[in-house]
Amino acid sequence: MICPRCDDGQACKIFDAPEDASWEVYRCPNCNFTWRSTEEEEVTNPKIYSPKFKLSQKKIQEMAPKPPIPPLRNSKQRK
Amino acid sequence: MPYRSLREFLAKAEKEGQLVRFKEKVLPEPDIRAAACAAAKIPGGPVLLFEHIHGYADKQIAMNVHGSWPNHALMLDLEKETNLKSQFHELVRRWDRYPIPAKRVESAPLKEVILDKSPSLFRELPLFRVNPMDGGFYLAKACVVSKDPENPESQNVGIYRLQVKDHDRLGIQIGAHHDLAVHLRKAEELNMPLRVAIAISNDPVTSLVACSPLKYDEDEYAMMGAIRGEPTEVITSERGNLNLPAGAELVIEGEIIPRQRFVEGPFVEFTGYYSSSMIQAEIKVDLISRRSGPIIFENLYTGLPWNEIDYLMALNTSVTLFKQMKEEFPEIEAVNAMYTHGYCTIISSKMRFGGFAKTLGCRLLSTPHGITYPKLIIVVDEDIDPFDLQQVIWAITVRFRPERDLVTVPHAPGSTVDPAHLVRGLATKLIIDATKPVFPDIPMSDASIVELPPNLPFWIDKILKRMKGAK
Repeated sequence: MICPRCDDGQACKIFDAPEDASWEVYRCPNCNFTWRSTEEEEVTNPKIYSPKFKLSQKKIQEMAPKPPIPPLRNSKQRK
Repeated sequence: MPYRSLREFLAKAEKEGQLVRFKEKVLPEPDIRAAACAAAKIPGGPVLLFEHIHGYADKQIAMNVHGSWPNHALMLDLEKETNLKSQFHELVRRWDRYPIPAKRVESAPLKEVILDKSPSLFRELPLFRVNPMDGGFYLAKACVVSKDPENPESQNVGIYRLQVKDHDRLGIQIGAHHDLAVHLRKAEELNMPLRVAIAISNDPVTSLVACSPLKYDEDEYAMMGAIRGEPTEVITSERGNLNLPAGAELVIEGEIIPRQRFVEGPFVEFTGYYSSSMIQAEIKVDLISRRSGPIIFENLYTGLPWNEIDYLMALNTSVTLFKQMKEEFPEIEAVNAMYTHGYCTIISSKMRFGGFAKTLGCRLLSTPHGITYPKLIIVVDEDIDPFDLQQVIWAITVRFRPERDLVTVPHAPGSTVDPAHLVRGLATKLIIDATKPVFPDIPMSDASIVELPPNLPFWIDKILKRMKGAK
């Protein structure tokens, strides 16, 4: 399964609707995107997912951590 | 009577004509978001209760619980017609009852079912995507409980956006200025996981206080008691010895993974804009406790303002800032921080001397909330009602002199979700002094303000009666 957002090929089904097999939920392990099979095509189809919201590996690698990770208290790397 | 649970509030809302039920089947997307948006756009909009979610036959969803002034008034156990300014002053009055400490109970419906073996968020909650380009299914109104790792007596209850990323994984957005960030920083300095408990579907006062910008050492439960007029009931979590709101429908327990960040977002914030994807903290869920019957999942729609979130964070933010500033400056009459979570804040006050409005603007910027959120600060005299924008704009037009009354504080701390930022987390603050100049400033010597006719109330009453056809 291709992730609609980052186009990673490892996305897979993680949940079936508890009632009447109404839908399935999928998850991408690369960008943590999740989606339901019954959602709008703009959300579920990698080909028409908005380019503005697409995530590339480059974008992910450039993300800043929130909140920042503090130095370890006993770290000897203090400057 | 204060409400002990969401269910008690829903019963009251229904009795007062402020609840609409949907017994027919609705789609998780896009029906819930569209209906919730609609409810908040209707003046005096009701609470919505969806009784059958497509694919989730055994669960219900409540939306727009805080999403109108009548709902807000009912939360405070006031008449639903109570106007905005009266609700503000009633909240101020109740704030003064702080603290009314919590009462511990030994049992509560949320402990009826304990799931501690591979609990699944997808199975236990009727999740839905709040806005189409959100990065996943969000819990947008859940109360996160944590404690200071070095001072366990100091606990915090706050609303933080939570992205369901897997059956047992939750992304959490923690701003560096939030109390939870202090807890997490201390835990991460020691490379320790931080225990958290997340209470879903609470009585409306619990949510109101959880998203109020209290001081670090103030106790949210004791403030909930003050607003409610009686102690809030708490029950101990299964793990980590945290105090949970006993009226919750469901509680998720877990720990924040130390020193790691994972892709999170985007999600539509109170600004009406999608916030960017970032790498943020993540919670490993290890236990869920809940009621045994069908649960009601309360969530929050955040979209183009105004929406429920604007009502939810309006008067609590205003009153918190008012109380914090009034400690040093008793001249302050009222504070309106209702617009975009206080990005625009209006302060009404008497003036001690010339330039005093600028002092007040700067004081706002040193409150816990004011450090980041306000970027447009308007100061008006005590004769202006800050909740009446017609009066505020009039004050700016006739009392504000740009060459003397405009102050900018460049590159100050700013909201990290402000879409207008040039550098994330920095903002230039603007203070507009729209007060009449007083000594030693140069007064408007030849300006004479007209007074309202003394018998105005009589004539207003008379005209209104004629309009209604009364004799």
